[in-house]
Amino acid sequence: MSYQCPVCNKVSNKSALDLARHMIGRGDKVHRDWINSKGFKYSELLALQFSSFGGEGFKSLAEVLEKEAKVKD
Amino acid sequence: MSDYSVIGKRVHNIDGTEKVTGSGKYTFDVVLPNMLYGKILRSPHPHAKILKIDTRRAKRLVGVKAVVTGKDTLGRKQGIWRRFPELCDEEILCRAKVRYIGDAVAAVAAIDEDTAEEALDLIDVEYEPLPAVFDPMDAIKEDAPQIHEGVELNININRHIEWGDVDEAFEKCDHIREDKFKCSSQAHVCMETHDAVASFGHNGKLEVWTSSQSSYYIQRLYADMLDMNESDIRVTNRHTGGGFGSKFELDSAQFCAAILSQKLCQPVKIVLTREEEFTATKRRTPMYYFLKLGAKKDGTMLAKEVRVITEGGAYTAMGATALYLTGFFSSFPYKYPNYRYDGYRVYTNTATTSAMRGFGAPQSTFVGESQIDMMAEDLGIDPVEIRRKNGMTPNYEVPGQAFIQSCGLHQCLDKIEEHIEKRGKLPPNHGIGVSAYGFMSGGIFNWFNTPYAFSAAVVRINIDGKVDVYTGTCDMGQGSNTTLAMICAEELGVRLEDVRMFSGDTGICPPDLGAWGSRQTLMGGNAVKMAAAECKQQLIEFTAAKMGVNIVYDLDIKDRWVHLVDRPERGVSYFDIVKEAIRGKDGVAIMGRGHYTPHRKGMISPAYSFGVQAAEVEVDPETGRYKLVNVTTAHESGTVINPVGIEGQLEGAIMMAGGYGFCEDQPMDEGKILNPSIADYKLIRSLDMPETDILEIDTYEPEGPFGAKEAGEGLTNPTAGAIGNAVYKAVGVRIYDLPITPEKVFKALKEKEKQQKKAKK
Repeated sequence: MSYQCPVCNKVSNKSALDLARHMIGRGDKVHRDWINSKGFKYSELLALQFSSFGGEGFKSLAEVLEKEAKVKD
Repeated sequence: MSDYSVIGKRVHNIDGTEKVTGSGKYTFDVVLPNMLYGKILRSPHPHAKILKIDTRRAKRLVGVKAVVTGKDTLGRKQGIWRRFPELCDEEILCRAKVRYIGDAVAAVAAIDEDTAEEALDLIDVEYEPLPAVFDPMDAIKEDAPQIHEGVELNININRHIEWGDVDEAFEKCDHIREDKFKCSSQAHVCMETHDAVASFGHNGKLEVWTSSQSSYYIQRLYADMLDMNESDIRVTNRHTGGGFGSKFELDSAQFCAAILSQKLCQPVKIVLTREEEFTATKRRTPMYYFLKLGAKKDGTMLAKEVRVITEGGAYTAMGATALYLTGFFSSFPYKYPNYRYDGYRVYTNTATTSAMRGFGAPQSTFVGESQIDMMAEDLGIDPVEIRRKNGMTPNYEVPGQAFIQSCGLHQCLDKIEEHIEKRGKLPPNHGIGVSAYGFMSGGIFNWFNTPYAFSAAVVRINIDGKVDVYTGTCDMGQGSNTTLAMICAEELGVRLEDVRMFSGDTGICPPDLGAWGSRQTLMGGNAVKMAAAECKQQLIEFTAAKMGVNIVYDLDIKDRWVHLVDRPERGVSYFDIVKEAIRGKDGVAIMGRGHYTPHRKGMISPAYSFGVQAAEVEVDPETGRYKLVNVTTAHESGTVINPVGIEGQLEGAIMMAGGYGFCEDQPMDEGKILNPSIADYKLIRSLDMPETDILEIDTYEPEGPFGAKEAGEGLTNPTAGAIGNAVYKAVGVRIYDLPITPEKVFKALKEKEKQQKKAKK
């Protein structure tokens, strides 16, 4: 299964977590706006990556992407 | 036994006599007729709008010849990442806004330094202070002040490196560690501060003498900033009193001297004070490091995940490269089948962070080597053994990144293991920590966007047989001129004293990217070797014709003797042949050209050096105070060109890297560096130096000249990690943030004591 970025259509062949990593990593305005529109604060997600173990920032976004990202089989 | 007659010999630097007698001329010593002296006014605010600059009072001061501000410039922004205009973000002389304490706002030229200094006090600058942010974790918050217009959350740049399937691999691991570290800043502390003498002539040409690591970069950056032709700018690098990564971008001394000289058509000299050197030049990048490491029970490491956020300071500079390299070298020197790195560089209102010896690798090595020791302990495996199990080997490909040809890491581990065994049972509170490392021999990346070969050289043989080498490489004290002269002498078959070096002068030397990323021996060396080989070929062809030798015989030149390879007694004097060959060429000197640009060598570097270091410390458990007792390094850098040069690099590296691990830091209060002097900035001094040993490992790098590769920066990488591991071995406390000061050790010991008491209860 692969996931498609709702902003730039980049396809991740791995997981929603991988797509979350792409969206946070890309970090440009359009990606940030999409993340913020889902009730997150981009900067807080980013900070979480450097202040907590377990990749919590990525995981919480991945949960949303699991439901909302276009999925290709 | 070596067939080389020059390479591998212990020689002192060819400019050593000039330097130790004080007769060598540095930019600091340059005096030109009618020369003026410049000084720079700097911002006292970490972040502020410039509302008004009134220079009238300063201009009226007797002896002042000119005062310039940002309005006297073209308003262009410089940056060494020229392929990416958005990363060229530094005006040098600020026009509308200052972004750190030390940003330049005006410059004065006067008849002497005192007058220029006095004039600075007469320049009235009206600022509107703005909210400032100093820590990258604060700077990425939504409500943080924006340092550069259009750069939201102050994220300057991010980098991602990945191979394998990291998430899947972690699931297969028997043991996973997650650790956080913080790496501090460090000042370059060059003996010679940044300086320049700029002379703009009525002919519209600019001549600059400056202390730099790359005359070509400085020339090109001047051309961008002043809108001049490259060829109308001559940059000369005389003796340079150290660079360590701080001197290959256009700096305020160079730029302001040129702007003032352009205005006056008179030479202007600017020498930064030691305080300016600490506060207004670049520095090592502080980093927050997050690491996740997974391994099997037997110590096989399956996956590593690295996240880094770096304190960028006010401008991009070389920080973007440091961000990439710290991510790349976080995988070194091990074969991680699955690896992921996410790095972010964040603008802050602090002095810009950029390149410094090791270029991001001392940080990654400290954190990585600390964590691997912790992993070894968790798994009950010997620290040397876990490194041996996972260490890189020859002909290893770092997936999608690099191809490693020569690699002597395992031999280095063997040597260090022997060394540890020889030290025997250590006295109480002593510990030996191990740290392994690798480093590149020059960078492949061309963010500077040069259209030239990365290195180039011209070799000319004169009528008396003496050889002139012209190369754009820069000797900043590391001894590259000696190394290149040895390579030339070996290739051509003459003696070292027959070779004269002309380097770092854009007026007479072919362009070369300069001295950074440990590139000169391999890249500059290949160019010089090729140019010398071309000269040699001409001499051999001439000799063959003159001697009428059978076409099946090969000729060679060794120790000034041109001879048949199979019958060395049959030959002619090199000097005689040179004379006749030049006559035979209508009096034209024999010349050869050489160049080198890496191709098909991956994304990072054409070659890598490796090593392992063992540091022994003695800790006083009552006070946390500790001393470095012994630092032994097993190092492989391919064929050793000059053993004396390597020893010098090693001892210097231990002094610098030991300082990074042990005592050097740049504490700040609201963006103001609190220790901007040699008295307050704690360096390791001669009396603090431990006993040092180098165990040279024999390897051969196919890509390097005569098999050589780097020996400059890699040696800076392991020491902080080795110290951290040694302190842990000695007294059982682990320090996660640099530098590992006695205070931190003391606090950790107290905490450990508290925890032990609690456990007993």
